Amino acid sequence: MKQRIILPLCLLILALARPAVAADAAVPPRQTAWVMHFDGDWKNASGLPEKAMLIGLQGLANRTAPQLYIVHAPDFPWEITGPLADFYRRKHGVEFTELKTADAALQQFAGCAKGYVVWDTAVMPTMNVAYTIAGLEDAIIVTPALIPLAEKHGLKKIDDLRGRYDGMTDTQIYAEAKGRYWARCNHDMIMLMGGHAGDMRIPGIADWGVRQRMFFHDLSGNPAHSDEVALAMQFYGEMNPGAFVFGWHSYAKDTEEQHTTLTSTFGLRMDGLQSLPNHSFNCQFTFTQGFKFANQHHVDRDAKLVPEKKVYMAFVQSDGIGLGVWTKPGRGRLQLAWGAIPSWLEFAPAALEYFQESATPADYFIGGLSGPSYMYPNHIPADRFDGLMKEAVRQMEILDERVFEILDNSAADGNVGNADLTKETVDRYYAAFPNVIGFINGYGPARTRDLRNGVPMVSYDYYIDPRRPREEVAADLDELIALNTTRPYFCLVHVRESNDVNSLVDVLKQLHGPVEVVPVDTFIKLAAGNKTYTTRYQLPTDPKTFEGFRKEK
Amino acid sequence: MNLTACIRILAGVMLAGVLTTAAAADSALAGRWRLDTARSSALDGWNAADLVIARDGTKVALTYHMTWRATKVAATNTVDTAQTLAIKDYFRIEQRHMAVYPRPGETAQVSAAWLDAGRTLRVEALVPVEISQGNTAMRIYQEFRLLEDGATLLLIELHNTRHRPLVYHFTKVPAEAAAK
Repeated sequence: MKQRIILPLCLLILALARPAVAADAAVPPRQTAWVMHFDGDWKNASGLPEKAMLIGLQGLANRTAPQLYIVHAPDFPWEITGPLADFYRRKHGVEFTELKTADAALQQFAGCAKGYVVWDTAVMPTMNVAYTIAGLEDAIIVTPALIPLAEKHGLKKIDDLRGRYDGMTDTQIYAEAKGRYWARCNHDMIMLMGGHAGDMRIPGIADWGVRQRMFFHDLSGNPAHSDEVALAMQFYGEMNPGAFVFGWHSYAKDTEEQHTTLTSTFGLRMDGLQSLPNHSFNCQFTFTQGFKFANQHHVDRDAKLVPEKKVYMAFVQSDGIGLGVWTKPGRGRLQLAWGAIPSWLEFAPAALEYFQESATPADYFIGGLSGPSYMYPNHIPADRFDGLMKEAVRQMEILDERVFEILDNSAADGNVGNADLTKETVDRYYAAFPNVIGFINGYGPARTRDLRNGVPMVSYDYYIDPRRPREEVAADLDELIALNTTRPYFCLVHVRESNDVNSLVDVLKQLHGPVEVVPVDTFIKLAAGNKTYTTRYQLPTDPKTFEGFRKEK
Repeated sequence: MNLTACIRILAGVMLAGVLTTAAAADSALAGRWRLDTARSSALDGWNAADLVIARDGTKVALTYHMTWRATKVAATNTVDTAQTLAIKDYFRIEQRHMAVYPRPGETAQVSAAWLDAGRTLRVEALVPVEISQGNTAMRIYQEFRLLEDGATLLLIELHNTRHRPLVYHFTKVPAEAAAK
């Protein structure tokens, strides 16, 4: 009897409660924050010093709460800062107040700092050392010209790096700084503050490094710079298992391939770029109430498709979602798969929710790159591989992804070398990802291919360089179709982030012959249906531009 | 002197003239040539290229010096205008962004001929390549044309699989600069 009364009563209470819950979800609680709008001047001699100071200040201001957000100029590499600010307004109730000047920013947030550190634009590594100190001592970083501004807001000098590192090599500078600061720094994260060299820098991610008390450096991964490599290996070897390398390599010292090989050799997770903004703000938001990733799958996980005798083409963009084409006109006109940045589940969940929310029916998300962050799997230590991939599997489940993308460019350089996986690496992936419907390999073209138990591994047959004339792109694709005469032919295409989708649609119109563009999950299932491609792995005889780094035992 | 003898002498003089012109022209092709990337088909995967042409009798050595950032690759195709050759590891200017790979150790059937009074070298090659569906061959037709100014070499390349020609403009590198 009691149950008969209690159950309807509970249902009544729930029914009454539902509108209130819905109302709460629709109107998030208000919270205040401040926003700055940056211009595009990152020159050492003009715009950099003030921006470097403000980004460091942002890291301090956002230590305990999301207070300061930066919207960048339209030509900034990460084009999502404006749309993401709108997302925070709409979905998280953030009311931004604009701070128009550095003076106003210090007026608002100087209390988050205990002092300032002086760095020297004539010795650029001092900026990185200053940022390291800033994280440890709660300081802002200033050039001599900015000292009066800092002192106007009551900040005292904590350190002055002028003269300390004059005449020293980068190795000597960072070795000296290692002795002073490394023990107190975060060993789960390190900041590779490289990128541009010469007369400009874009330390967009410095807020994150300061907030998390990371050691900043731009040591080289170029084997020709043996002393810098040796010191970088000391740092990386002393980091905790599964640790992150945020930022990006120095364009003046080494290549992406060299440095990613180096970090992968230690099983570390590379998360770019050095310009990535607002991580200290983004990390403090979770998904909105009730939000769940729902990828727009086109085929059932267990579907078996029978391909027709024609050419199937699929397009993937994996350079870093938020860079390039996402915010440009044309998205949605072409079935395109996107490599969502999986570590943002941890550090920028609202950004991932923004991408999901703004996806068109033509956008599909895939996992990768190579692991829970950007890594080169041929070089990941065997004893670290499974742990890293377990995290990647977890990320894919949350992100509702079924296709995993892999890249190992350690042995590639232009037309020389290769971007392929050894059979041992392929074996590891098939064992580590039992639930994927397929794997993609490469960046530029590659030739690692397999099909096991209905799960294909397909490499890119073509890479679209945004600078390549569109008529040549069409001719290239037509030539691949002419060379691969068996039908079906599965042509997987990688699209660099700065391509214009509208121009890709025009390329497709120029192709000769029957070509069907399909979503990548459909492509994978079709490729499982008729294996017209060869099985191939990296061979010992394949050309390699670099064998890898040898770790000291 | 009868008419037949006159015709023979005249023919001989004319042939000698043609051969001399041809020899002068094909020797004018000899030397180092630098790719003018701005006027050429897009060359993805290489920043720069030099072509060195050397003649030895009926043999013509075509040496490509390709550069990508700090990476340098040199390869020579030696063709013969008197006979078809089987050339091992025949060098083909690759487009980095296409999954079309050379097949190491395999041979290409290559023929060559002088045309246009020695101002054009024609090379035809059946080149083994690896694609995602396995092995196949690409027929490549090339003409190395010396232009009127004598300082420009035009390489026109056709593939049996491509509907657009690839056109590369080279300019002559002065001998003293080439020697450095």
